[in-house]
Amino acid sequence: MKKTIAIVEDERAIRDNYAAAFSREGYAVRGYPNRREAMAAFAARLPDLAVIDISLEDEPEGGFELCRELRSLSPELPIIFLTARDSELDAVSGLRLGADDFLTKDLSLAHLIARVNALFRRVDALRRPAEEKQVIRRGALTLDSERMSVEWNGQVVLLSLTEFWIVYALTKNPGHVKNRQQLMDAANVVLDDNTITSHIKRIRRKFQVVDEKFDAVHTVYGMGYRWVE
Amino acid sequence: MSRISELIRIGPISGFRLRTKLLLLALTTLALPWAGCQYAREMETVLRESEQQSLLAVTTTIAGSLKGRQQLLFRTDPLLAMNNDNARDITPVVLSGAPLVDGRADEWDTDSRNLIRIAGPGGDSLQLLAATHERWLYLALLVRDGKVIYDASALSALDSASIGDRIWLAFDDKRGDQQQLFFGGTGSGKLLGRRIETREYGREEAVAEPRIDAVWQRSSDGYVLEIGIPLSLLGQHIGVLIDDRDRRGATRSSYGTLEVSDLRATGRLIAASPDLNDHLRQFAQPGVELTVASSTGAILTRIDAPALPADYTRMRGFLPRMYRLFLDGDVIPRGVSQAERQRAAAGLTARVARGKPETALFAGRYENSVIVAAAAPIYSADGKHIFGVIQLAQTADRWLTLRDRALTRLLNLTVFVTLFAVAAAFWFAGRMTLRISRLGAASETALGREGNLSRVLPEADARDELGDLSRSFSSLLGRLDEYTGYLRTLAGKLAHEIRTPLTIIRSSLENLESEGNSENAKVYIARAREGSERLGAILTAMGAATRVEEAIAHSDRQRFDLAALVRAAAGAYGSAFPARHFSAQVPDEAVEMTGAPDLIVQLLDKLVDNAVDFSADGATISIVLSAEPAHAELSVANPGPPLPPETANRLFESLWQSRADGDKRPHFGLGLYIVRLIAEFHGGSARAENQPGNTGAVFTARLTR
Repeated sequence: MKKTIAIVEDERAIRDNYAAAFSREGYAVRGYPNRREAMAAFAARLPDLAVIDISLEDEPEGGFELCRELRSLSPELPIIFLTARDSELDAVSGLRLGADDFLTKDLSLAHLIARVNALFRRVDALRRPAEEKQVIRRGALTLDSERMSVEWNGQVVLLSLTEFWIVYALTKNPGHVKNRQQLMDAANVVLDDNTITSHIKRIRRKFQVVDEKFDAVHTVYGMGYRWVE
Repeated sequence: MSRISELIRIGPISGFRLRTKLLLLALTTLALPWAGCQYAREMETVLRESEQQSLLAVTTTIAGSLKGRQQLLFRTDPLLAMNNDNARDITPVVLSGAPLVDGRADEWDTDSRNLIRIAGPGGDSLQLLAATHERWLYLALLVRDGKVIYDASALSALDSASIGDRIWLAFDDKRGDQQQLFFGGTGSGKLLGRRIETREYGREEAVAEPRIDAVWQRSSDGYVLEIGIPLSLLGQHIGVLIDDRDRRGATRSSYGTLEVSDLRATGRLIAASPDLNDHLRQFAQPGVELTVASSTGAILTRIDAPALPADYTRMRGFLPRMYRLFLDGDVIPRGVSQAERQRAAAGLTARVARGKPETALFAGRYENSVIVAAAAPIYSADGKHIFGVIQLAQTADRWLTLRDRALTRLLNLTVFVTLFAVAAAFWFAGRMTLRISRLGAASETALGREGNLSRVLPEADARDELGDLSRSFSSLLGRLDEYTGYLRTLAGKLAHEIRTPLTIIRSSLENLESEGNSENAKVYIARAREGSERLGAILTAMGAATRVEEAIAHSDRQRFDLAALVRAAAGAYGSAFPARHFSAQVPDEAVEMTGAPDLIVQLLDKLVDNAVDFSADGATISIVLSAEPAHAELSVANPGPPLPPETANRLFESLWQSRADGDKRPHFGLGLYIVRLIAEFHGGSARAENQPGNTGAVFTARLTR
């Protein structure tokens, strides 16, 4: 059965373009221009993944509200924020509401589809028992590349997809410096320096939530970051 | 923004501060004492003139009452031929008290006018002093005589053998007959004059004249005869003669003012009639001196010397003295001797004797006292001749005292008022300056570090113009704040607005690529994508400032080693920009500072980006870190074109662009703006300079450690 993707986007042309791209990948796509119509449809039937714009018609923060309501309907449903906004604050609020990723509309369709695919893969992987060969262990870190989940000292660290990919890229070769470009490539995003910096900052903070002494991500000034065990 | 604070700082060009100006303004109150002095002088002049005028009026009245009454002045009706001076004329001084007729003349005032010297034979001489008081004429004959010979006896006055030294006195009587008296001393003491009368058969007899007092007295070098004669006996002429003998009955040698041959008096007596004083007394006032002189200046009589008024109190103390010194100037003569005063009075008389009443000021006999005098001519009955001059004098101390009192009070008041005004102006100026500088300081610091404006200024509650100024500053700053806020967010808003249509274009192109396209179409699609990528890059650059501001807002400060950071970063630039050489000059020891290392790296990135942009391939970019105890300076220098001087300060503004032509990359001059934001976040500043010799530019960020 085709997986269903809901696109909540008030700009019709964008909605239709995304819908076309997802359809081409073999997904069933449903588009909604605002929160009201989307919620009405979701109440009847949940999609398999939702791509939500933050500002919806007359509601500048409608996407956040929608995310909250959707999350209350289903805790597992992958949600991606896709927005013209690129402010740090929005990203933090969106991710705190339980979104799996927060992307700007600069992202190419190919990258978007890659993410959607990855998220579906993770949903599938979570339904299966964990496979040992996909798991990377680095000291206190346990990283399941299939489920895209990270544990530190046995405690789950909730990372967004982008953050997961950054951590994944850093831990693949611990001690090697990854520059910003490499991290962006790994995360399938085009970000500027500040956004990378704030992603790194957010990753450190999320690890510090489970371990105050966490200090594995080092900044190499002028070059990039590296994972230190 | 910085231009506004420059505008505020630059006021109208002036050499004086506000405080000095107001102080100078307050000093104009010094015009008050000046005006007061002018007023006091004016008042003084008016007082003096009115005094002089009233005195002159009195003088003229008295002169009128004496018109044609020369017998009062000269005891005879016929007018004296005053003009042909005679050396034998006797001009007595007017004494204020009657002298004792005692053979001593030492209580008399001597004056060149009333002293006649006549030389006798053999070194003998006669000094004749004359004076009047009331109705008496006093004569003192001071005779120097080497050999004083007494008469043998008063009883045999006419026995030629017993005659010693003799003194003759001759005068006209009222009827014009000549009277001749002789005095023959027989020893010191009272003496009666005797006249020689011829009786029947030619017998001569010496008859004593009891109405004339005389005292004979021996002196050190001769003898003195003092005589008192009632003026009522006297006519026009009078004279004395000494008959000097070396022994009794010897041949006489005569000298004196009488004709030696017939003992006739030819010298005139210039003295007023005793009735003149009675006449003048009716006009006398206390404090007023009344003098009548002949038209030649001989003083005939004088009544009442000017007396000091009872309320005479000269102002003492330092300030009144200063005021007087400052005021009097040369208006009033001062410090003049009695003789000079008399000379001045005589001068006035001489002038008036030519026909015109006049007033004058003389220095008085006390320090700073002044005498006002008025004189008027006395005319003969027919009004054709002037035979005398009457002069009234009184001290001017009354109005001087009045003036001094008023002036001292006025000047004390003005000095007080001036001091008060200066103090008030000083206080006011100080307060005003303080308020203005507070407002100025507030308006200068209104522009906060992050470019936001504080709208609260001091003085906003004041009701005066400064309050208005503060309020209009506030509203100006408010509007400015809104405007700069608008400008600051404009790029971000614009980027956001453009991003949606750009997303439409880009997603459409991506969809189009997945359709089967002709080769030609693929070329166009590729071009369109390239264009949209560039547009996207532009939008990212436009939003960069906003993101940096946000990043700054979310930055945590930590202690870190700036030297290690710069060393590491500088090492990385070589691989990032292979076409440039990098030289880093970093202290060996650690440079600990508090801040956000990520932001510092970003700052350095921007400076290096900028240096790369403005330098040619192969150029060496030098990165220098220098540390002071409180600050660290990070500078990046590149060889290249010098900075245009006028842009040096604007380089760090948002959206300022100064870039060589031909560069296609999107650039909004945000790099240096970000440098400034980060430097300011670290309590510092950013500046741009040319290298010495204009061989390139140096950009420096100053950071607080």
